Amino acid sequence: MAHFELVAPRTAEEAVAELRAASGTSVGVLAGGSDLLIDIDEGRVAPTRIVSLRRLPWRTLDWTGGALTIGSTLPLRTLEDDPDVRRRLPGLWQAIRAVGSVALRHRATLGGNLGRAAPSSDLIPILLALDAEVELIGAEGTRRLPVDRFVLASRRTALRPAELIRSIRIPEARPSAFLWQRVRPANDISQIAVAVARSPGARAWSVAVGGIPPRSVLLPRVAEALGHGSPTPAALDRAADLASREVAIVADRRASGEYRRHLIGTLLRRAVASAEAARS
Amino acid sequence: MTGPAGVLRVNAASIDLATVPADERLLDTVRWRLGLKGTKEGCRTGDCGACSVLVDDRTVLSCLTLTHELEGARVTTIEGAPMDPELERARAAFQRAGALQCGYCTPGFVVALAGLLKERGTAATPEELLDGLQGNLCRCTGYAAIARAVAGLSEAPP
Repeated sequence: MAHFELVAPRTAEEAVAELRAASGTSVGVLAGGSDLLIDIDEGRVAPTRIVSLRRLPWRTLDWTGGALTIGSTLPLRTLEDDPDVRRRLPGLWQAIRAVGSVALRHRATLGGNLGRAAPSSDLIPILLALDAEVELIGAEGTRRLPVDRFVLASRRTALRPAELIRSIRIPEARPSAFLWQRVRPANDISQIAVAVARSPGARAWSVAVGGIPPRSVLLPRVAEALGHGSPTPAALDRAADLASREVAIVADRRASGEYRRHLIGTLLRRAVASAEAARS
Repeated sequence: MTGPAGVLRVNAASIDLATVPADERLLDTVRWRLGLKGTKEGCRTGDCGACSVLVDDRTVLSCLTLTHELEGARVTTIEGAPMDPELERARAAFQRAGALQCGYCTPGFVVALAGLLKERGTAATPEELLDGLQGNLCRCTGYAAIARAVAGLSEAPP
């Protein structure tokens, strides 16, 4: 006897109706499954009903007017293979490549990663730095939220009970970079990750840091310290110093607090250099 | 996903999904339902790559895939190597290089390498291929021979 029922609705309306009908019971939403199935195996969740998104026509990738809209169930590997993602959003491309392995990325999705909102997510920092927003669909229709307001804390999001992530929108191409430090390059969790992006119009920087609980955060004061355009060596020093003091750093089994503080400044310098190189 | 509803193909076999419990993983379907023991269970958490199979010619982790999610798809396991040019090419390269010690990780490596060959075609460089194999672990740490197998892919006719 199976531990859960599995349903695979064909439309968004049916999917939302399934979630509403299941309210009160323990329901799981399945995109790629690489997080949900591990959470089930490790006893973190025990859904009795799982709503699979596999039949929804949401595996889309659309560049319109300079903005990129990514369907929530598009496999990360497909996103990684889009030449425009690599060229126009290099930080997003680097972040995708930091997730798991090739085999994992063939199933894992951006919507799944956002919906789980792990503090160790390698995708949330770059989405923050790129000012991405999520489109959510529920019984009352759709609404949009900046990723910064969608991710609340470790494994907590602004998603309502019968609501699904429909897509993720990145408003413009930006010189950007995502760098991490970890023990193994694949299938490992970053000790610290730093994402930077520069808005081409205003030439202002965004800086986000991930790998620390309770969630990835934007560092507006660090971004401001970088100034506009290419930062001077003094501005970079100031920003790196500030970055290592701005974040509440914790020690855990992956790294000491001192090492993490050191890494933030180092990765910030390298990420800015990488984004600058991507621009030219 | 082009096949008929309610059916999953694995190598030459067809599985009626109505007979498969909702929570069954592809790894268990392949190993226990079909008796194809070439696909290995390593970590069952997506960390080791030993359970890699091809789904519609793309490498996936069978331990983290519900069998029902693959309705209409075509799964190829290591046992399908004789019928699959890339799998056979990757397998032969491992054999020529003697790229195994205990052999437990080998089917996963061969499948993952074949998947990269299918995705990237003949343009793939040895560096790209090795990079794409980072999700496969060899606990004997026989990586030097595995790297030689990848480098030696071009030695034999494809």
